[in-house]
Amino acid sequence: MLSEVRFEGVHKIFGTETAVEDLNLTVNAGEFLVLVGPSGCGKTTTLRMLAGLERPSYGRILIGDRLVNNVSPRFRDVAMVFQSYALYPHMNVYDNLAFGMRARGAAGGLIAQQVKETAAVLGLGHLMKRRPSELSGGQRQRVALGRALIRQPQVFLMDEPLSNLDAGLRVQMRAELSRLHERFRVTTLYVTHDQVEAMTMGDRIAVMNSGRLQQVDAPETLYDNPANTFVAGFIGSPRMNFVPGRLTTAQGATAVEFLGVKAPLSSRAKLTADAAEGEVMVGLRPEDLMWRRAAAPESTLTISAEVDVVEPMGHEAYVTAVCAGETVTSRFPPRSGVRTRERIELALNPARLHLFDAHSGTTILQRPAAGGAELPRSVGEARIDEPAEGRSERHRQPQSRGMQSRTEEIS
Amino acid sequence: MSAVQARRVAAENLIVVPYRRVSVAALATNTLLILLGCFFLLPMLWMVFASVDSNPDWAIKLPTLTLANFADVLSRADALTSFRSSLILAGTTTVLTTVLALLAAYPLSRMHIPFKRSFMLAILFASGLPVSMLIIPVYQMYVSFGWLDSLYATALFLSASSLPFAIWLMKNFIDAVPVELEQAAAIDGASTFRILRELVLPLTVPGIAVTGIYTFINAWGAFIIPFVLTYSPDNQPGPVEIYNFMGSHGLFKFGDLAVFSLLFSLPVIVLYLFMSRYFSGAFNFGGAVK
Repeated sequence: MLSEVRFEGVHKIFGTETAVEDLNLTVNAGEFLVLVGPSGCGKTTTLRMLAGLERPSYGRILIGDRLVNNVSPRFRDVAMVFQSYALYPHMNVYDNLAFGMRARGAAGGLIAQQVKETAAVLGLGHLMKRRPSELSGGQRQRVALGRALIRQPQVFLMDEPLSNLDAGLRVQMRAELSRLHERFRVTTLYVTHDQVEAMTMGDRIAVMNSGRLQQVDAPETLYDNPANTFVAGFIGSPRMNFVPGRLTTAQGATAVEFLGVKAPLSSRAKLTADAAEGEVMVGLRPEDLMWRRAAAPESTLTISAEVDVVEPMGHEAYVTAVCAGETVTSRFPPRSGVRTRERIELALNPARLHLFDAHSGTTILQRPAAGGAELPRSVGEARIDEPAEGRSERHRQPQSRGMQSRTEEIS
Repeated sequence: MSAVQARRVAAENLIVVPYRRVSVAALATNTLLILLGCFFLLPMLWMVFASVDSNPDWAIKLPTLTLANFADVLSRADALTSFRSSLILAGTTTVLTTVLALLAAYPLSRMHIPFKRSFMLAILFASGLPVSMLIIPVYQMYVSFGWLDSLYATALFLSASSLPFAIWLMKNFIDAVPVELEQAAAIDGASTFRILRELVLPLTVPGIAVTGIYTFINAWGAFIIPFVLTYSPDNQPGPVEIYNFMGSHGLFKFGDLAVFSLLFSLPVIVLYLFMSRYFSGAFNFGGAVK
């Protein structure tokens, strides 16, 4: 039942436009892979090629071990949920659900039983006689899902299935989709432009831009170690700050200068082979750029800035400040009381810096996987995370050493 | 007056108010339209009055009621034969045109065809050509094929002349069916034949009906083509027969003419009423997409 999906060197060219360029991607069996990117990045084309609605210009697409390049959609054993739902308007819910099984020549009794079960899973039991025009948006979305579920296909394809729902319903359906995947564990390729959907639902996330795959990783890895400035800027809200900086080496110690401060790089953080002294792009997540007064002790760097805009969000506030001619956004605790034009001090943990090549935008810093990720991300999280994290550290080693290794990373 | 009644009256006033504000422009437009409508209604009024008048002439006047005209027409063999001829002619044309238009419009709507736009424009141009321009070469052709005076062969040319417009009409109806429905069905495992039978056909029923009815009405009223291509009295459809009423019988029998015209327009009126149901959007794709 469980099949993996592989794209091998897949290109899709429409006339003179290259929609997808040299795509190499594996969706593991039973995995929920989210394909995310801005509109026009080629993610929907990728999905449609897997469904058989588009034919790749070059390359191979495999479902399981079967090459499907020349297999028509009806023989691919995939099910797809369309953004528009594409329900059959002249059929009621029952017939919409049963259509696929009838087309495959299933026995009447089996169809009735499966339709009933699927409808029960999705809470559609009382709507069987209704036509799509008599259903609400959420109900239509559920019928579209049911039409895919009932087939028990090898692969699920979902093309922005939640984008037509209102915000509340979207959150609800997001959880429901995750639950359904937990239950049925069907290999799923899910296309969205919404990074929240990507982060919350995906086992792994594949980020695409202008037809090219940028990075494929687990949500946290993607967030903590973005491969380039595009991924770094696309994942995370508010967006990562990018400021120009200089990489310098003096007496064997590498440091980076930006926003008027000099941050020595940790000896554990390795620079890639491409890294060279000179111009670099420094990436700072807004939650790593904290208010001095609310900052954790690890945030050893202090940057002076002038507040430009304060955006209260309720549970936190986004503060846009100008510092050394660069505009940066940082996440503040709520009701901090800072005002426009006020001079503030921002604190930064040097271990949370991201460094990118100034020209290509590729990352030049390989941060230690565990060390960086375990550090508290934001003011709010710090209070919750710290005790638990501290305990686990203590179990492994004496606290003094734990602290030491952290300070090492910082300085 | 109770409070409830007072409120109801107030509510009714609220509803009525907007209708009282009639602008000069609206008044002028409506008056003009009513006048135009009257011009078109007058001949029909004559038809209705003259058909039941014992002594009709070309003027519209209140009739001296009689049913003699109806009895007269219904007893004439040639009148009934012409109904049969019209039915064969219009029926064959409708079936042929609708089937061919559907088969032509589906790929034109769905498939990528080189020079499709030019082809569609050529069709549009063809639908604007007056038939009378073609009738002489067509007559020549029918003579050399030996097809003259055959209702079915005449229906062939009627179909050919009504096909361009029918294809355009049908294509627009098929365009309105979201292509994603067919893709969804294909992924669901349905064969092309099943998709056409269970999805495309039911969803284009309004288009088929409108195209069919439109073609039928046109073929039913076609005059010049059957007039040229048929000659034996048995094969004269209604419109040609009406012409014969006026010409070859020497004296005008206004009563018979009116009765025959009245009877002959009945199917058209019924079909128009039927067709308006589809045009008013009784059928839509609600819930299919979005």
